[in-house]
Parts: sequence; C-alpha cells; structure tokens
Amino acid sequence: MTTNEIELEKRVVRVSSRTKLKQWGLDIKAFLFLLPFLILYILFTIFPMIKGLQMSLYDWTLIKKMDFVGLGNYVTMLHDAGFWRGLWNSTLFVILSTPTMLVFALLLAVIANQKTRLRKLFRSVFFLPSVLSVSVVSYVGLFIVQPYTGFLNNLLKLLGILSADQEIFWLTEAPLAWIAITGITLWWTVGLNMILYLSAMQEIPDDIYEAGRLDGATDYQMFFRITLPLLGPITKTILMLQIIASYKVFLQIYIITRGGPGTDTRPIIQYIYEEGIKNNHMGYAATMSYALFAILLVVSLIQMKLNSNKGAA
Amino acid sequence: MKKVFTTMMGASMVLSLLAGCSSGGSTSGGASTEPAKEQAAATADSGSGKSDGKKIELTYWTLFAGGDGEYMDQIISNFNKSQDEILIKNVKLEWAEYYTKLVTGVSGGKGPDIGISHTSKLPELIKAGVVTPLDDTAKAAGLKWEDYNSNILSSATVDGKHYAVPIDTHPFIMYYNKKHLQTAGLLDGNGKPILEPGADGFVKFLTTLKEKLPKDVTPFAFSNNADDPYRLWWALYSQQGGNDVISDDGKSPAIDMDKAMKAANYIKDLYYTSKVIKPQDPDFYKTFQSGKGAIMMTGVWATGTWETTKDLDFGAMAIPNIFGNTKTWGDSHTIILPVTAKEDPKKREAALKFAMYATEQGGQIWAKAGHIPADSKVFESDGYKALKYRSDYKAVASDVVFPKVSDKTWPKNDILKKYLDEIWLNKTATDVVFKKIDSELKTLLAK
Repeated sequence: MTTNEIELEKRVVRVSSRTKLKQWGLDIKAFLFLLPFLILYILFTIFPMIKGLQMSLYDWTLIKKMDFVGLGNYVTMLHDAGFWRGLWNSTLFVILSTPTMLVFALLLAVIANQKTRLRKLFRSVFFLPSVLSVSVVSYVGLFIVQPYTGFLNNLLKLLGILSADQEIFWLTEAPLAWIAITGITLWWTVGLNMILYLSAMQEIPDDIYEAGRLDGATDYQMFFRITLPLLGPITKTILMLQIIASYKVFLQIYIITRGGPGTDTRPIIQYIYEEGIKNNHMGYAATMSYALFAILLVVSLIQMKLNSNKGAA
Repeated sequence: MKKVFTTMMGASMVLSLLAGCSSGGSTSGGASTEPAKEQAAATADSGSGKSDGKKIELTYWTLFAGGDGEYMDQIISNFNKSQDEILIKNVKLEWAEYYTKLVTGVSGGKGPDIGISHTSKLPELIKAGVVTPLDDTAKAAGLKWEDYNSNILSSATVDGKHYAVPIDTHPFIMYYNKKHLQTAGLLDGNGKPILEPGADGFVKFLTTLKEKLPKDVTPFAFSNNADDPYRLWWALYSQQGGNDVISDDGKSPAIDMDKAMKAANYIKDLYYTSKVIKPQDPDFYKTFQSGKGAIMMTGVWATGTWETTKDLDFGAMAIPNIFGNTKTWGDSHTIILPVTAKEDPKKREAALKFAMYATEQGGQIWAKAGHIPADSKVFESDGYKALKYRSDYKAVASDVVFPKVSDKTWPKNDILKKYLDEIWLNKTATDVVFKKIDSELKTLLAK
C-alpha cells in the first residue's frame, strides 16, 4: 500500500465515520422527537396490556387485593352465562350493524359524489353527526324513540300508522331495541365510512368511466361493473374496521337501554365494565377483555388471510 | 448551538409530558382534578395546621347533587362559621362515579378525611378496607351512639362495631295529588286518602281513581323498570315478613319464593290486569309533578322538589298497608372516616365533631330535602315536627327494612332489578325470573 493509498483509506474511514456520526446525530434527534410519544405509548398501551394479562391471572380488586388464581378466571369465564350472553349480544350488534354501515356508507358516498351543486352540502350533512359526542347522540336518540313524547312515535301517529292511544315501546322489546340502537349508531358513525368510500371513489380515474361511456355502458352498469369492483380493497378495510368498532359497542347502549330489558342488549364491554368497576372484580374483567381481544385478533387474521388469498388469485 | 437547542427542546418536552402524566396518574383512577387540588391544599396545610392554633382542614367528599347538595353546602358553611378550629372543604363528586373514586382514592392514599356512604354500601367499603371502626374516636369526641335512631344505627353497625355516623334515612313512600283524590271522592276531611288496608283495598282505590278521573290522568304514576318497582317489590316482600334474599351467613340465596312471587305478581297486576299505571312512562316524576298522576311512589327525597313546584297540592304518607303492615324499602346516608395515608387522631376527632354537628344542628336543614333525620333529638324536635309533610311520614323511619349486612348488597340489587324488569315488562313468567335470580345470586354469593 502506498502512502497515498493509506492516506486515502484513512480519509475514507474518516469520512464514513463522519457520515456515521452525522447519521447518529440525526437518529438521536429523531429519537428525541419520538421519545414523548414512545413514552406515552409504552406507559398507556404496552404497560396496561402486560398489566392486564397479569391481572387476568389474579383475583384482583380495585384496591389491589391480589390472590393468584392461575387460569381460574378463564375457567369461570367459560361457565359464565353472563359472558356468553354479552358476547352474543355484541356479535348480534356486529351482524346487524356491519352490513348496514357498509351499504349506507356506500349509498351516501354515491350521493355525495354526484356532480351537483349540492355536493358539498351532502358531504357535510352526512358527516356532521360524527362530530357529536356519544352522550349527545344517545340522548338525541332517546328523545326520538322514547314512548309518548318521542319524535318517532308522534310522527307515526301523525302519518296515521299508529292510532292516537297506541305506543310502540322501542326500548323495551329486544328486537325493537336493537333496531333503535343500530339506527342511532348508524346515524352517528356512518359519516366516517362514507368519507372513506368517497375518497376511494375519487381515486378511480375518469378515463375508465369515459371508456365505459364510449362502449355504451349505462350508469347502472358502470356502477356495478366499474365503481363497485374498484372499491373492493376499501370495502375490505371498512369491513374490518367496522367489525372491530362494532364489537366495542358500549356507551350508546349504556345510555339508551342500560343493557335492558333484562340483559337483552347488554354487550360484552358493559359486562366487563360492570364486573370490573361495579362489582370490584378487576381480574375477571381483565380475563374477559383478553378473551375479546383474542376474538378480534382471530377475526382480523381470518380476514387478512382471505384478502391475501384473493390477492394472489 | 442548534444541536444544543434541539436537545434542550426535546428534553423539556419530555419533562413536561412526564409531569403531565404523573399528575394525571395520581388523581385516583382518572378522577377530576378537583379532588387532587383540594387534596394538595389540605396536605400542604396539614403540616402546620394542627397544633399551633391554626385550623384543621378536612376534605369532605360528597355525592349529593341538586337539592340535596345545596342543603349539604349550607350545613358545611354553617359549621365552618360556627367555630374556628376546623375547616371543612367540600368536594362534590358525580354520584355514578363516587364509590369507585372513593375506593381507588383511598387505596392510593389520596382519599378524603370525611366521606359519605349509604348504609347498604358500607359492608363493601369495610371489606375493601376503605373505612375503619369509629368507636375509639367517638369516645374521644364525645359522640353518643344512643342519640341515633336504633333502626338506622343498626344498619350502620357491622359485627358490633360502629363504622359510620348516620345522617338520615330515606324510605320509599307514597305521594298523592289532593286535587285528584278529592275529585274521585277519596280524600277525607283531614286531607288524607280514604284507603282500605289490604291488597284489594289498594287496587280498589286505584281503580276508583281510574274510573273517576279524566283519561289523561294516570291513577298511579310509576315506572316499569329499574329502581322504583324494585323498591315497591322489596316493601311488599318485607310486609309479608319475607326473609332477606340472602342467608344469614351471606353465602347463599335464601329467597322466600312464595312471598317473593306474590309481591311480584301483585305489582305486575297493577300494570297488566287493573291497568292503573301508564305503561312504560319515560318520566313518571314529571307525570306526577305536572299533575297528570293521582299518586306516585318514590323515596322521600322528592318532597323538597314537590314543595317548590307551583300548583302541586300534594300529600305524603307511608306506602299503603297491603300485606298487613307498612314496612318499606329504605336506605340511609352516613358519614364515614375513610382510611388515610397518615392516620391523625386529631383529624379524626375533628371529623367526628363535624359529623355530630351535621347530624344534630345540620339535621334540621337536611330534613328540608325530605330525608328523615337519624338524630333522635332532631327527630323529636318541635322544629322538625313543624315542617310540613315530613311529620306525615316520619314514623316510617322505624318501618324501613334494611337489607342484611353484606358486602354484596349492591351487586345483589343489580341482579334483582335486572330480572324483575322482565316481570314488569311482561316478558318472562314470574317463577322463571325467580329461578334466574336464584341461580345468579348463587354464583355471586359464592365468589
């Protein structure tokens, strides 16, 4: 190696170490900026998750009186009618709400995507309820469906569908209560799905429609042959998000029916809340939370699997 | 330079965030910041505030809203004015969150010096280690237990030890609209309802109201679910001498099935056979308040509200004798001294002095809300007797059938209410409902 070469080597080393150092500096800076989030994430997401798993193995009360029970809570859960009832109620809500949410979101997106002057109005009107808090939504819903003074029954009377001294008790008959809850939730949350659909629709290139029009396709055909298939990926995303969101239903039901009549509309999250906070069985509540977590995980995995299979085919 | 700046920025951001977290974390399970602030003030002063003539500051957590809350405020401010050794700071918490916050607050060492508990909730708090016996402190503070109504006091006594100073009892009673009863010819010269005792007598009373009154007036303003029908059921079950729904050792259900079903069916018939209750009234308080109900039943706390309602000429009385007596549902507010991180005997003594004041001098004010005072001196006082309406139902204090002392009372009530609702809504047969209740209670009590 000539001295020149050695010199060069040294310089390369120096340069690369300098770039490395520079890189490190950048990394540290980036890390520092990420640190606040990371700390919060660990503190409020990772740590509670691990703590929850630990709690599910203990007879844990609100004031941390702990007895290790191993898998005892899990065994109790499997024999607990309340758990199964709650799980079924939540599943029922998923079954009722998910297709409704998809269809209505698509419908509204189509309306909001029309090239009319009302387009902006439609978009804001449909999305507006999403801004409201759950308590506002629930009370508005309650004022609509409650007997005697509720808007809905009075409207039905006005239209002559109900006679003057007839009342429909929306909140105390299980099927009706579910319709009321689903309707209120739909009105509240459909806007978000609509926005997702809307943005996906706008990404469909115009020339496809142009080509379709040249080939003489009707609007109807263009919607079912072009729009709908191209919305496939977003539909899958919305489906997954909606299933997870629907499984987590709690507050609107809690405010509107309190889970009643009896336990007919009590979702699993409410049961978890009641066991944990009201009845002081935090350990058992954690166990059921993990069961729900496992179910959602499986649902998501199945769906991802299905999606990837379809993608390959 | 730039680097230093960014590093410092980052560090300060982290620090401020961390500070944010820790103060957020300390407010006992996401409690509002109010108790934390009060707490900070209290602890900051407690170091210097005991011996050198300064005031002893005590934090007092309450759950009273609306009318009740105002009367309690009045009691506290009167107490603070009445002497200059003790200062009570009232922290009003949301009813629905109160007990959760109390338990988590105390377990985190951030609880109050004085708290409120329902007697029905007391055993649960004792089991959770939130409250301790008061007997020693009571002796030091000169509190005499015999001053209190023995029925109420016994509900606040667990294993022979006193855990709480009772303020009141709030039983389930009946209100009636004098105008409507008059119209139906069911009001006597003294303004009292003409009502034959017994199961048929009450139904006859209601059906007469139904026949004689305009169609838009419901004979019995009542709800179809949750608390109030449950309370009526408890009253009717107790009138028959029904055993508490749990066994003496608290380990298993012990429902007197025949009596329980008889009481439940009696109420069900009011809805569906004699049809004297407006079905599924979303707001029966409003129905009665607006003069659209002839009678209604609820806790005595409504008296204060009816009194201030314009044009409502009403009367109050014990619920009717349906199964041989006028036993009824009731609960009671008590003052407790939650466990604190540093047990300070002086503070505890000061707290009991306040408790004595609140029940004696304050009792008169508290009675205005409608509650029946637990302090016998107040109960017997002319001032209390002079209060309108209250004297009509004061005797009910001894008729209250408190639930058996158990740390499962509240979850037990939740189960009862949930399933009884199915009877009131005519969804499930009564015997099936009680089978369900029995099996769920078994699971609950075995835990």
